Amino acid sequence: MSDPSLSMLSPSFLAPLAYLALAGVALRRPGRRPGALPRWAEYAALAALVAALGGLVQVVLSGPARLGTTDGLALIALRADAISLTLVLLVAFIGWVVMRYSRSYLDGEPREGAFYALMAMVLAAVLLFVQSASLGTLVLTTAGVGLGLRRLLLFYPDRPEARRAATKFSLVWHGGDVALMLAAVLLAAGYGTLDLAALGQQAAAAPLPATTKLAIALIVLAAMLKTAAFPLHGWLTEVMEAPTPVSALLHAGIINSGGVLLITAATLVQLSPGSMAALVMLGGFTALFGAAVMLTQSAVKTALAWSTVSQMGFMLLQCGLGLWPLALLHIVAHSLYKAHAFLSSGGAIKAVAAQHRPGPVAVPSLGAVLKSFGLAVLVYSAIAGLFIAVLGPKSAQSLALGAILIFGVAYLVAQGLADSAPAALTKRTAIASISTAFGYFAFQAMAQTIWGAALPGAPVPGALEWALIVLAVLSFGLVAFAQALFPLWAHHPATAVLRVHLVNGLYLNALLDRAIGGFRTPTHTS
Amino acid sequence: MFMKHADIAPAQLGGILSAAERAARAIPPAFPLDATVAVNPFLGQTGEDLATVSARMARVAGIPMTRSGADYAAAIAAGRISDDDLRAALDATTLPGAPATLDALKSAARRDMAPPHALPTVADLAARATGTDWPSIIEKTIGLWASGQFDRGQALWSPKPGAQAFAAWRAWATHDLTPEIAGLSGFCAHVADAPDTPERAIWRAADRLGLTDAAAETAFHRLYMDLGGWSQHGRWCLWQAELAGQSDRTMVDLLAIRLIWEDALIAHVPGIATLWTQTVADHAAAPTATADQVALAILQDAAERAHQRSLTQALDGPAPRKDRALLQAAFCIDVRSEVFRRALESVDPRVDTIGFAGFFGLPLSHTGPGSDIAEARLPVLLNPTLHTTSRNDDATEMDTRIRARAARAWGRFSRAAVSSFAFVEAAGPLYAGKLLRDALGRANAGQTGRDKTPAPQVVGGLTPQAKADTAAAVLRGMSLTRDHARTVLLLGHGGQVTNNPHESAYHCGACGGHTGEVSARMLAILLNDPETRAGLSAHGLALPQDTLFVAGLHDTTTDAITLYDQDLAGVITPAQADDLVTVDRWLAQAGRIARAERAARLPGSTGDDVAARALNWAEIRPEWGLAGCAAFIAAPRSATAGRDLGGRAFLHSYDWQDDAGFGTLELILTAPVVVASWISLQYYGSSVAPDVFGGGNKLIHNVVGGLGVIEGNSGRLRPGLPWQAVHDGDALAHDPLRLSVMIDAPRAAITDVLSRHPQVQALFDNGWLHLFALDQGRVAARYEPGLRWSDRSAHAA
Repeated sequence: MSDPSLSMLSPSFLAPLAYLALAGVALRRPGRRPGALPRWAEYAALAALVAALGGLVQVVLSGPARLGTTDGLALIALRADAISLTLVLLVAFIGWVVMRYSRSYLDGEPREGAFYALMAMVLAAVLLFVQSASLGTLVLTTAGVGLGLRRLLLFYPDRPEARRAATKFSLVWHGGDVALMLAAVLLAAGYGTLDLAALGQQAAAAPLPATTKLAIALIVLAAMLKTAAFPLHGWLTEVMEAPTPVSALLHAGIINSGGVLLITAATLVQLSPGSMAALVMLGGFTALFGAAVMLTQSAVKTALAWSTVSQMGFMLLQCGLGLWPLALLHIVAHSLYKAHAFLSSGGAIKAVAAQHRPGPVAVPSLGAVLKSFGLAVLVYSAIAGLFIAVLGPKSAQSLALGAILIFGVAYLVAQGLADSAPAALTKRTAIASISTAFGYFAFQAMAQTIWGAALPGAPVPGALEWALIVLAVLSFGLVAFAQALFPLWAHHPATAVLRVHLVNGLYLNALLDRAIGGFRTPTHTS
Repeated sequence: MFMKHADIAPAQLGGILSAAERAARAIPPAFPLDATVAVNPFLGQTGEDLATVSARMARVAGIPMTRSGADYAAAIAAGRISDDDLRAALDATTLPGAPATLDALKSAARRDMAPPHALPTVADLAARATGTDWPSIIEKTIGLWASGQFDRGQALWSPKPGAQAFAAWRAWATHDLTPEIAGLSGFCAHVADAPDTPERAIWRAADRLGLTDAAAETAFHRLYMDLGGWSQHGRWCLWQAELAGQSDRTMVDLLAIRLIWEDALIAHVPGIATLWTQTVADHAAAPTATADQVALAILQDAAERAHQRSLTQALDGPAPRKDRALLQAAFCIDVRSEVFRRALESVDPRVDTIGFAGFFGLPLSHTGPGSDIAEARLPVLLNPTLHTTSRNDDATEMDTRIRARAARAWGRFSRAAVSSFAFVEAAGPLYAGKLLRDALGRANAGQTGRDKTPAPQVVGGLTPQAKADTAAAVLRGMSLTRDHARTVLLLGHGGQVTNNPHESAYHCGACGGHTGEVSARMLAILLNDPETRAGLSAHGLALPQDTLFVAGLHDTTTDAITLYDQDLAGVITPAQADDLVTVDRWLAQAGRIARAERAARLPGSTGDDVAARALNWAEIRPEWGLAGCAAFIAAPRSATAGRDLGGRAFLHSYDWQDDAGFGTLELILTAPVVVASWISLQYYGSSVAPDVFGGGNKLIHNVVGGLGVIEGNSGRLRPGLPWQAVHDGDALAHDPLRLSVMIDAPRAAITDVLSRHPQVQALFDNGWLHLFALDQGRVAARYEPGLRWSDRSAHAA
């Protein structure tokens, strides 16, 4: 099953080397104002970006590449295909942005040089992780990411909050590593290989033994821990203790590791309907829970962290529905958006002041909200019909996801339909709504075209799947409806108590703190 | 008086509530970051001297009030502080426990001094006894509540607006389970059972904590300091209310909230009762400076004398008066103007510059285009009396608003619960372009250069009489009553920065933390108005027919100057337009000189990249703001012209011979001098006590509620200047010195003004400011506490 023509080098495999070289230099100058190092950090990031682009060119011209054996345990195996190169490009691009940002932002820090060393090591590990072709490589690199990130979270080791956050992060992240390692052991014992393509093929060839089911469940568990899914999401909402570029990298390049893991192992994961159902339920719940908590957060980075919890939950939901290309699209889109949101979070003072200038917000009435949902469904039907007519039929899961998203667009329509909204505003929001609806159908069509061939299609829904689809559409629809009516109930005394519990994230983090000693007075060991 | 004493009436409670009020007034207000201005962090302590305040602040906040002994020892060893400076400081002190000799003072600087420790709160004692980090839990839970309570629009789901803080907190804390999960069982019930007014809650908790009237003030002050910026925000609410002739109860609410915690913890950990009784006894004693604190205060005075010595040397008599200038350029007194004024004057001898507070004496409340919000563009000590607006025509105005509202609707769409998923899927990929644009600093590149904001106009217009009255008052205040040049520039200032929560701290403090654009344009329009000109003669003022006033904005990040020549349509003559071409060239030349000078202080700057810093979204030190400020000089420019004052002096133009009745002198001493002292002391506080009076580390700033920043994941609001605004990574960029005020006026006139303004006198008497009288541009005498002067000949200044 190993295709010899595949065993070749892709330029993208060299991208991590640029960062490793940088780390080597940076380790020798760990202190303040380390000469030309910050400039070289940006050059190294650019070199990695060029390598990633080179990989893309090669895949386009001569097809996928692969490094390492497919036989045995294949601890080190890399692949270069449409999926891995998308992720390599994403990480390399974000890597360049944060390194360039750091040149100004970190200037004069006592541990300026060490910062570049740590960032470089983490970026190198992430670049290897997203190109992994074997479960062994995944295990090694994701553990490496965790070790490096922990050091970055402790960039200000004197801050007790930083130490608490780092402890919590390590516990959950490496918990995921342990789950992944157990999965690897089970699969290696069962199939004699850790090559993901081979594993997928072999497992599909026969009914799944219980050990394989367990291994898949462990992979799903690892993905949930690493994407900060409910109920162990707490670590992510505390890690704004490191400089802003670390947050940007974490939320754009690292938090989606769980998703990358699932997508890389998609063929295998989709074989277990139970694991898929778990992804839908926990992912969907995390998405709604995180989004509700995000609404109540007054600190911008904290709100962004809760937004990430929620978005990663949504991505897990997409995985669980078997919409793998869409999950990958979500990872890319979210990464770009969230990196920008963190890096530009200093503008929040100005943004809030600007909100007040044009006068009060127009509040849509119940009638306007109902009308907006009707209009949104009409727009959805028209655009979906258009895309189906041009590109062929869509799966039930895909249509359900479209419905969920259009409920969100209804909120934009509703704001324009409020009685006090002038006609010109209605027009602008209507145009924005239609562009949004069109935009995501177009992006989804692109995702299907670019990555669809390499990923399994959504499974034909059985009773369980249908139940989950209906549950998802109903619950997201209900929350979307409540959200559109939000100003009418948000300040009612009856909801004030709900708000208190939501601001506190339903206390799950406090309970975790209690369990691991997070409330103890700080000691000076890290 | 914002407490409701009558509420609970009995006389014995009066002592506790008075102590609470004094403690509340010991806290400085912190202005929200959308329009922040510098505030003296020791505003509540100006009645005491530095050494006594050192003792007080050590007790309530655990902070030093000076640099460390080692810092002074290094300055002595390097010769920056001379033996003469030390001796003079030693001679001047009246503090008990001062070192007896020069050598004793020097060895005190080298002595190993114990860092100050605050007296413990009940929460501190409970933490030590139980190992549970109660101070941090309190900080987190109160911070989480407060960030919602005071949120101005960051969270979509904030608490019901307008609720009184205490009632809102009780409703919150009776349901917040965090304290109980952390181990304080019964806390929700404890809050539910608490009295329903803050006064009663304070009294009951003080009673249970055994606080005596004598101990209460600093015990309460300690708790306010424990709340960090939230109590300073509460103090700001009170400040604003009192400025408007009202009152505000946030401060009493915050104290009640914090005391309910203390009350709960002392019941929860009864074993700390003895330690707490001892702490109460410590609070009851008046704060008295230790020998270390006295020595440090004297060393600080010596450091200031060292600076005064060099300043005195620089002021060696007036430059000769010149003929009529071709250009007069009026700048804000801001220390950053000093660099540019010197540069501009060096470009051509026909240039004169003037210094005046950047709001140019116009007390404006301004509404910008497409906005409903009136911004107070004047010093925060004053109330606005003139309302201005800069509206476009109706169609453009409507369009601006619709754009802003559509953007706001899109913003809400992007952040609301389910729609955020649609937003990410549809718009997320487009952020690749935004990342690229912002990483390359292209976001606002088009905004530099010409500002197209419409000219401001007074709402309802002004009568010719009012125009002339206003213009006459401003011209006299600026000492701009004769010898007008053909072109008079009125330059406001603002600092262009990108992605910086502290942006308004770089703007003009005299304009309430906004840029000086509107004030400068309004004044130029007023002074060019024929009706104004006609009415001025009745005030005994005459402006030459050919004098043109031109407004501009000095960008303190880039040293570029934008002129609002679009406001001149209809009043400018061709000859004046020719002048303006020359002026433009001079301004560009001066900008290059000023940039080169400033670049030397900016880490990693070459001078050419100064403009790029303004557009760089990752820049943490776009410029140095007012860091370094150390002197305030009110004198004719001839006294300071040609001297390099290093961008460290506020320069206010003042000629006492034109000041009949010394009305302008009184204004200078009571307004710009006080504002300058606030700025100087804010930099001082943020430099010597960054943990309490500094804004923290910019690298982990987390903007909260649209009003301030917290660090990372903590709950404490951090007012004051960020560490990166006073420190360049290697050393402090701001040498913490109390301001030296130098005024060219007869001593008797200065003494007379001070005697009528005891609060201003207290600033000088207690050493928060130094005062010198100039005569003919030379330092003639030093002010001594108690309205006395010592001749410079008697004391080497």
